[in-house]
Amino acid sequence: MGFFNFLIYLAIMMGIYGILSLSLNLQYGFTGLANFGQVGFFCLGAYITTIITLAFGMPFILGLFGSMAIAGLFGYIIAIPTADLREDYWAIVTLASAEIVRMFFLNEDWVVGGGVYRGGAFGVGGIPQPFKSHFSAQAYPFFYFAIVLVCLLAAYLIINKLTRSPFGRVLKSIREGEDRLAQAMGKDVKGFRLKTMAVGGMFGGLAGCLWAHYYGFISPNQFLPLETFIVWAMVIVGGKGNNRGSVFGAVIIIIFYHSTRYLKDYIPIEEVTLASLRMVAIGILIVIVMLFMKEGIIKEKKPIY
Amino acid sequence: MTLIQVIINSIIRASELSLLALGLTIVYDILKFANFAHTELAMIGAYLAFLLNVGLGISIVPAAIIASIATGFLSILIDRAVFRRMRGSIGIVVMVTSMGVGIALRNTVRAIWGPDARNYAVPLQKPLITPWFRITQLQIWIIIVGVLAMVAFYILLHYTTLGKAMRASSDDPDLAQASGIATEKIITYVWFIAISFASLGGILIGMETYVQPYMGFAIIIPVFCAAIMGGIGNPYGAMLGALVLGFAENFGLYINFGKVLNLGGLLPFSKDLFIPTGYKPAISFVILIVVLLVRPRGILGKKKEG
Amino acid sequence: MLRVIDLYKSFGGIQALAGVSFDVERGSITGLIGPNGSGKSTCFNVISGFYAKDSGEIYFQGKRIENLEPFQIARLGIGRTFQIAEAPEKMTVMENLLLAPKAQTGESIFNVFFRSSRIKQETEEHLKKIVSILKLVQLYDLRNEYAGNLSGGQRKLLSLARILLFDPYLILLDEPTAGVNPTLINDLMVAIKRLRDERGKTILLVEHNMRVISRICDKVIVLDSGIKIAEGTPREIQNNEKVLEAYLSGSSKKQLFHEDTGS
Repeated sequence: MGFFNFLIYLAIMMGIYGILSLSLNLQYGFTGLANFGQVGFFCLGAYITTIITLAFGMPFILGLFGSMAIAGLFGYIIAIPTADLREDYWAIVTLASAEIVRMFFLNEDWVVGGGVYRGGAFGVGGIPQPFKSHFSAQAYPFFYFAIVLVCLLAAYLIINKLTRSPFGRVLKSIREGEDRLAQAMGKDVKGFRLKTMAVGGMFGGLAGCLWAHYYGFISPNQFLPLETFIVWAMVIVGGKGNNRGSVFGAVIIIIFYHSTRYLKDYIPIEEVTLASLRMVAIGILIVIVMLFMKEGIIKEKKPIY
Repeated sequence: MTLIQVIINSIIRASELSLLALGLTIVYDILKFANFAHTELAMIGAYLAFLLNVGLGISIVPAAIIASIATGFLSILIDRAVFRRMRGSIGIVVMVTSMGVGIALRNTVRAIWGPDARNYAVPLQKPLITPWFRITQLQIWIIIVGVLAMVAFYILLHYTTLGKAMRASSDDPDLAQASGIATEKIITYVWFIAISFASLGGILIGMETYVQPYMGFAIIIPVFCAAIMGGIGNPYGAMLGALVLGFAENFGLYINFGKVLNLGGLLPFSKDLFIPTGYKPAISFVILIVVLLVRPRGILGKKKEG
Repeated sequence: MLRVIDLYKSFGGIQALAGVSFDVERGSITGLIGPNGSGKSTCFNVISGFYAKDSGEIYFQGKRIENLEPFQIARLGIGRTFQIAEAPEKMTVMENLLLAPKAQTGESIFNVFFRSSRIKQETEEHLKKIVSILKLVQLYDLRNEYAGNLSGGQRKLLSLARILLFDPYLILLDEPTAGVNPTLINDLMVAIKRLRDERGKTILLVEHNMRVISRICDKVIVLDSGIKIAEGTPREIQNNEKVLEAYLSGSSKKQLFHEDTGS
């Protein structure tokens, strides 16, 4: 890949993962919902948009809104029976639900739209790229980056406004796992958790949609729990409870992740080994940050009156 | 597949799961966090045994024992390096940290040994075949080891000073510490027991199937399920949970729900309806979610009020 | 204002409340006392909805509330403090207090995006009230401190300030003077009385400090081992034999109780 194209690729990844981080931070950093199944929203978004645009031939914008709606709905529904569970149980439940989503798309190999969409283990290709015909092959990535950037900005502005509002204040009051105070103040704590999961889900789905249309090909292997952990690393390292931190975390981790790719040109090391070592580094990074820098690099700002 | 075979498969699976779930639950009880690196440590045990068995040519039984003990010690090291600094932190925080530890462990193994599946150097198993079921010698051993381990743990818990101290720490950690039961020491012992048992479980699973870097992650949900279902913190609950799960998974695939819906001819439902094998892992997830909704503290869990 | 009828609540094998009934009159300061383990906190928690009752009825201003969620009970106008003064560690004093006002427009997602000017207006009004209350309890200088950094006494003040802002009809105070500096206790008593006298609040408090009880309560209810053993003015209670017995031999009485239930 040419250097410029590589940069655009990185930028698009930062955008997509930035949205994922913002979503996870809303759930964990602000509301204390430790979602170990963030990849579930990602996966759902990707597949829903594929079904809408590829199998049913609808325009991109419908795919976009469809992914967000369905992923948001999924977040809400999963939370209804589980939102008041203890944090650790909740983490396991979310991990499990994300795996169920992935398993669903792995096993259900429907053939829709005259063989155009064929689900299952081999994945789905030929996902239409929005407005591709209007641009040359070189210019298109820039255009797509513009789309991603707009989405990232929208996500940032929306989530930021939410977290700075009285709504966000209530979220902060329940995030430490002790919600009695909020209850005593008349706040419908469960309702807040449900809504957070819906919003978080929506943006997770958005990221999935952007991913699917960029790659043009999706398969269940792209949505392993591994992805959730990478997003966790971004949220934690960047700074939890802090929206700029989430985006910053995405940028840092992506840079780290992809810059080490070229190491293999200088060190005699295999691709697979390198990939594994990268993940070891990420794991250690999470541990170190949690031990010594729990707040992350960009700390949460204290509102001053 | 006969009913007896399904029962046998269930018991085998329950045995494996109980070795893993037991460790998870006692660590949770003492340290108050869900250790997401638990099954990874079991995987490490499996790989260490592989190293000893295939790499150094040691026969499988001593290799398994040495590997389990070694992994037990490794867990103590990890506790010293990481978790000890977090005594008193909120559960999620330690949980997320353990996630990081798990990632690091899993990928270290993958970096060293690669992603491919490995097998132990065990002589080929000739199964015992009867018209109703078949079972290999290894599988019989899995059941025996599982039962022995549970018995050993029971004896430990009720007939040794350590066991008494463990129970005291479990019921009231502040009181235990105040009355001079050295809690850090207990924690060390708990890690060792928990993880050496877990390693044994991992090795048995590795022997029955194969050893690969994601084997720990593949069973983390069933193991958590078993522990939570039985009431996290309760070792007997973990065993019970493992039993329930073992049976649920195997019967879940075996039962023809079409026949169930048919109600023996009462209802006009005549199709065969089985849970597809691809969804086997989903069975434990769904059961877990149902259990958590109906009885969040698990079957034998302690009630926490207020 | 509040009527509790025949409340039963048990935990495991222990019967914390065994048929407790009492009334709290509007505009009164009522005390709830009893030796340790008598069921006072349990009573509070059941009334405010944090524990589910086994059986019994609770009426608040004529409405049945015993099966409602805590937040629904709070919205009806019952505010409470907690023994260990609850305060989210990572929120500042100011943020804590901004939580308190009821029915905030900005707590609905729709409103955050479509009614932001109204929210801003509301926040301004709230801030004015908060500033005056902060100055009243002398926490104004600490307004931007994280609640986690406050001392125990300061947290109690914060709880009080929060309740003031929350503005309920009935205030449940859970051991308001526990762990408080003796010099402050007088101020607290004055504050509680003013709440009733100037703002018409009704107050139910759980207390161990008998001086406080006798000074400010109109009526006192005494519990022991989950049963109401006496009810009356502070003076009547002080001279009540059953009450004295309960406090003196409190521990031995419990011993008997446990043996009876075999636990």
